[in-house]
Order: sequence, then structure tokens, then C-alpha cells
Amino acid sequence: MPFKKNHNIINKNSHSLNPCDRICFIIPEYMNKNIVEKGTKIQKEQAWKNLIMTEQLRGRRLVTGLMSSMFSVSNKLHRTIYDAENTENLPGTLVRQEGGKEKGGKTVSEAYDYSGSTYNFYKDVFERNSIDTRGMKLDSTVHYGEDYNNAFWNGTQMVYGDGDGEIFQRFTKSIDVIGHELTHGVTQYEAALEYEGQAGALNESFSDVFGSLVKQYTLKQKADKADWLIGVGLFTNKIKGIALRSMKEPGSAYNDPTIGKDPQPGHMKNYVDTTSDNGGVHINSGIPNRAFYLVAIDLGGYAWQKAGKIWYIALTERLRERSNFQKAANSTYEVAGTLYGKNNQEQNSIKRAWDEVGIKIKAMK
Amino acid sequence: MKIRIERSGGLAGMSITNEMDAKDLPSTLLLTAKKIVEDQKLTPLPVKSIPRGAADHFTYKISIQDGVNQRVIECNQYNIEDDLKSLVKYIERNSKRN
Repeated sequence: MPFKKNHNIINKNSHSLNPCDRICFIIPEYMNKNIVEKGTKIQKEQAWKNLIMTEQLRGRRLVTGLMSSMFSVSNKLHRTIYDAENTENLPGTLVRQEGGKEKGGKTVSEAYDYSGSTYNFYKDVFERNSIDTRGMKLDSTVHYGEDYNNAFWNGTQMVYGDGDGEIFQRFTKSIDVIGHELTHGVTQYEAALEYEGQAGALNESFSDVFGSLVKQYTLKQKADKADWLIGVGLFTNKIKGIALRSMKEPGSAYNDPTIGKDPQPGHMKNYVDTTSDNGGVHINSGIPNRAFYLVAIDLGGYAWQKAGKIWYIALTERLRERSNFQKAANSTYEVAGTLYGKNNQEQNSIKRAWDEVGIKIKAMK
Repeated sequence: MKIRIERSGGLAGMSITNEMDAKDLPSTLLLTAKKIVEDQKLTPLPVKSIPRGAADHFTYKISIQDGVNQRVIECNQYNIEDDLKSLVKYIERNSKRN
């Protein structure tokens, strides 16, 4: 039985759980979580049992808090935008809340609109209820610091600088950057990939993958029409560069006398061993980024439908704190086999893609 | 005395190094730099202390060389001490990037 360990079987007709029923389909963990939130009483009870069983099998944390919040989960988008007024005090002054009038200028609107786009992407495509699956509020602070050349996720909220006007412009400008930051929150509540070395590079790569998919989903772009760039428009026109990173051609996003050349490798033979950047988390992420790009292009159509789904299930159900590139490759291969059948187009595509970036899939059971 | 700041990480993942001779520092920051080198008993800051799940933050490697004495401190935007932060900010704004 595929997905025996991490998936559960539910009867399609009666909505009662019975592995022996004839008509069955696979329920991934995120769907169980949705059922806990939205299902009927009997469905909720069963989904809850499934989640506990799954968590126990993994030896992972118990789903603490979920029971108590079962009936207090918010199913609505709730965005809050604060203004740090060029200080480094968080969260800053409240500027706009969900449903409130547009105010605070372009930066506030971008933070508000693009965090909404990201929420909708996760909800529509993966039936995910916000960052934590329980309707977590999406808090953002804009105008952080003076000439601040960064955007970051601090474990509870998104934070955006205005840029110095020399190298960077405001960091809210790019929808995929906002998708990237919010996805760090999703990773925190799922695989919780350690922010160091290969696990950290995977953490970064998942943020790039889903950041790019948020953009593609919003634009309704097919894989072959997407730019596969992260952070287009963030550089000022003084910088020779088109974006922060290219998933299609890692290492080609910028080459400039002031900031140097994009250091990302697209193959394991060029893997960068470094102590900077938490062990090169933004550098070596080019390798899994390119693997995803290759799969998405090979499978064609909308990248979120197959490649995105496979990566999402790997992130939410297969990977753990210290997972490395090999584990990610094996997991995506395994998930593709379970979802679409062994040795079919999807699984072969994944095998070829990881092979092309220098990682051989190790055979699964 | 030479001070070297290497900042890495952030969303862009760029490594940027700035250097400055201590004689170009304002007196308060010069005092901070001297104190850091002289006080070798100062407990090194924990590099990996970041909030759970945090990402895209800046990390710093600060090297201060005063003759034969050298002090290297590694920290990040969450655990950098206020004095050190002022020193970093000043050097980043007032020196040439390497």
C-alpha cells in the first residue's frame, strides 16, 4: 500500500475511515489538517486520530495544541501591516488591517496585496490555512531600519527594508520575495529545516520555489512562460543585474562591479563550502532550485499542479530538520511515485532533474 | 588598529566586507573597539542563537586587529550587542566596500 506510513485512507462514499473499503484514496497530512478544521464531527475525529498516528510513527512532536484549537481555528485571511518608521523597533505602528482602507502608500499596499496573494496560493492549491494551517495572522512591518537592504522572516512576522537606493529598492516590490518570506513560515511549521548547510539551503530553496509559484499562480503563467527569477526589480538601475537569483540558470542573475557576481552553483560539482551565510544557504540553494525548474519545465503546464504538489508534500510530510539534498531528491522521487505511479513520466522527470544537478536518486522501497 | 566587518546572509545572501582604520572612528566607537580587543575575557557571542524558524537575517564576522592582539567575534542581527552594532553601522556607512 503506497504511503502506508504517512498517509491514511478514507472511504470516499461514506466519509468513514476504513482501510478495507473498496473505494479508497490517499489523504496526505495537510488534508487531514483541513478535515480537522472543516470536516463534519465524525470526519474531524478520524482526521485527528490520523494526525496523531502519523506524528507518533514519525517520532516527531505530538500535534500539541491542535486539539485545543480545533474549534478556534480561523478560516479567514487576516493581514496586518505595521510601519517601523525607519527604526528597528518591531512591529511598529499599525497602518492597515484586513479589510481596512488602502493607506500608507505603495509599500504598505504591496505588503498587504502580495501577502494576500501568497495566502490565496496556499489555500487554493494546497488547501493550506495560512502559515501554520490554523489561520495564523500575517503580520508585516515595512520601512524597517534606515536604508535597510534586506527583507527577513523573524519567526513570527515578515519585515521589509526600503533599500538604500544605491543597490536596492524597497523589498516589497517583488511578489515572489513576499512569497519567499511567508514560505519560511510554512517551513518553520512543517519540515523545520535547520538554517545551516544543506538543510538551510533546502529551506531557502523551498522559499524560492514557492515564492516563484506564488508569482506564476497570480499571473496564471505556465512553466515555460515564467521568468524563474527571484527578486526582479529589487536592484536599482545602477546595478548590472536582473534579480537576486535565477532558478533556471543559477549564477547568472547579476554581475556587477559593486556587488560582484551571482555566486550560485547549479550543480553539485560547484557546491560552495563556506562558513559565510550560515554555510552558504543562499548560495547552494541554486542546486535544488534548478532541479525544481527542470522538473517543472519537463512536466509542462502550470508548475504548481504537479511539480509544486510533489515539492509541497515532500516539505510537509517527508523532510525533517536535518534533511540534506540527497534526502530531498529521494523524497520528491518517492512522492511522485506514490502520487502518479512508479516509473511514469513524473518520477522519471524527477530522476533526470536531480541527476542533471549532480544528485543520483537512491532507490526507494 | 584595523577593523574588518564581514556581513553575509540576508535575503540576497551577499557577502560584503568593509574595513576601517580605527583612527577614522569617532572617539566613542574607538573606545568600543579598544575595549573589545583588550577585554579578551568577554564571552564570545553565540552564533546560532536565532529565533525559531527565522530566516534571511544578517550574520557578522567582526575582526579587530591591534598589533599582535586580535579579536574575532561572530554574531547575527539578533544577538549583536548594542555597542558593537553601532560600530558595525558606522563602518558600513563610512568605509569602502571590499
